[in-house]
Amino acid sequence: MSVQKPVYGFGDLPLADVDSGTNILVTGPALGGIRTLVMRMLLCRRSDEGALFIAADTDGQKTLSDYEAAGGAVDPRRVGVVDCTEEGTADESHNVVSVGSPSDLTGVGIEFSNLYERLVAGGATNVRTGVYTLGPFVMYADAKTVYRFLHTLTGRIRTADGLGVCAIDPGTVDRQTLSSLAQAFDGRLELAREDEEIRVRTAGLADQPDGWRPIDL
Amino acid sequence: MMVGSVWLSKTTMAGVTVLCVDPDDDERVATREAFDVTETETVEAATLEAAVEALRAERVDCVVTEYHLPDGTGLDLAAELRETAPDTPLVLFTDASPSHIETGGYEDLIVEYLPKDMPESRASLVRLAGNLVEQRAQVGYPLPSDEDERLAALEQYDVSGLEAVDTFDRLTDLAARHFDVPVAFVGLVDAHEERFLACQGANWETLERENTICTHTILEDEVFVVEDTRADERFADNEELARREIRFYAGAPLRTRQGAAIGAFCLIDDEPRSFSEADRHVLEQFGDEAMEQLELRRRLADREQPTESTTGGDR
Repeated sequence: MSVQKPVYGFGDLPLADVDSGTNILVTGPALGGIRTLVMRMLLCRRSDEGALFIAADTDGQKTLSDYEAAGGAVDPRRVGVVDCTEEGTADESHNVVSVGSPSDLTGVGIEFSNLYERLVAGGATNVRTGVYTLGPFVMYADAKTVYRFLHTLTGRIRTADGLGVCAIDPGTVDRQTLSSLAQAFDGRLELAREDEEIRVRTAGLADQPDGWRPIDL
Repeated sequence: MMVGSVWLSKTTMAGVTVLCVDPDDDERVATREAFDVTETETVEAATLEAAVEALRAERVDCVVTEYHLPDGTGLDLAAELRETAPDTPLVLFTDASPSHIETGGYEDLIVEYLPKDMPESRASLVRLAGNLVEQRAQVGYPLPSDEDERLAALEQYDVSGLEAVDTFDRLTDLAARHFDVPVAFVGLVDAHEERFLACQGANWETLERENTICTHTILEDEVFVVEDTRADERFADNEELARREIRFYAGAPLRTRQGAAIGAFCLIDDEPRSFSEADRHVLEQFGDEAMEQLELRRRLADREQPTESTTGGDR
């Protein structure tokens, strides 16, 4: 079987393309630009791509408006949001579904799988998934549930040749927890901010530039 | 080629058993027939009760279930599964839309979901089930990146009669006395459970892997210490550890010469304590000794059965 598998590109971000099926853990301080970075990594670069957000910290509407501000096209056939916030509401016209609580990881998983299938069936065969952020899940669910959720999520993305980008502020979890969560990912993108300068570096991802490099967010 | 969101990568799932649960006979048979094509073994059930019985009768590799069952729901079944065989993946393959699925009380189960109304949904289902099994996608603990190789290596060392080997009893007894801890054990971490070869101070035989600290130890290069389980986010809410009064843990990974971590030599206390660098070094030596004994048993077993166990990566 000779099928050309897609790669995911990141435009002018200082990141080389990654293979399809790659899951990346993005770490950095919440106020350091990490949200913008996730939004830009989720920008569709080809007509067969889609974007799916799992929004745990901010609601679906804000997620879509931030995505649009980052340059994303909010087309409900290609973009969807699983809103996990307690105050979230569903909005069918914008493909936003609501779970009601970040503690309901079973509900999040079901809505995610359903939206993923619908996007693919609608022609967005290469889906970029963004989780912003893992923090509430880690806070509300027990560790076993979080591992199970992450394996299921990253497994689905890997199998479907998607791209997974999951963000967490390392200040919100202890070091050991972060390192065992990282086990579910192919690699890590670390963001750091010092005064006005924002830098990133990667670990575990093939063919990326070495060391810290500046990023303009 | 691609079916739904799932790439086709394998054509057979021989050796895999799937429990298919659907109250509608035609639907259930269609699902079974889709699995038949890939040589997957199937067990069928039309009700929650029959499905639970089937799970108790044999260990299956994956469960595929409708959401609405005559005597319950697919999530009731998932709850039973997480109690009895927590690593086993479950797929809701259903006509019910997510908004009709009641997750209240079941927030921590985590299942896969595939709507029946998608094009070629049964082909997607078979592929999804195969991937879930192959990737161990619903396990509740971090997995080593070399898990397949690790399990293959474990098989080489897991020779019959190991539990009867007095050496491990002596070693754990010595360790418990040396460190003044109530429990010391040698455990092998297999695909779903930890099995205790020797356990000084407690009567443990097996433990579901998601409840063990050793499944974390095998990810480490060095001795792994949890000075207080209640103060560690990874273990604070683990009820099984609380039930066994495990507050302190120190474990030295047992590594084969090729580097595969197959188990751990461990100390347990029922109250928090500290563990010095010197302690770590001594525990490491206990671990090395246990590993040497395992190596010896493997070689003996190889000699006795030269036609078997000549495969696998660890020699």
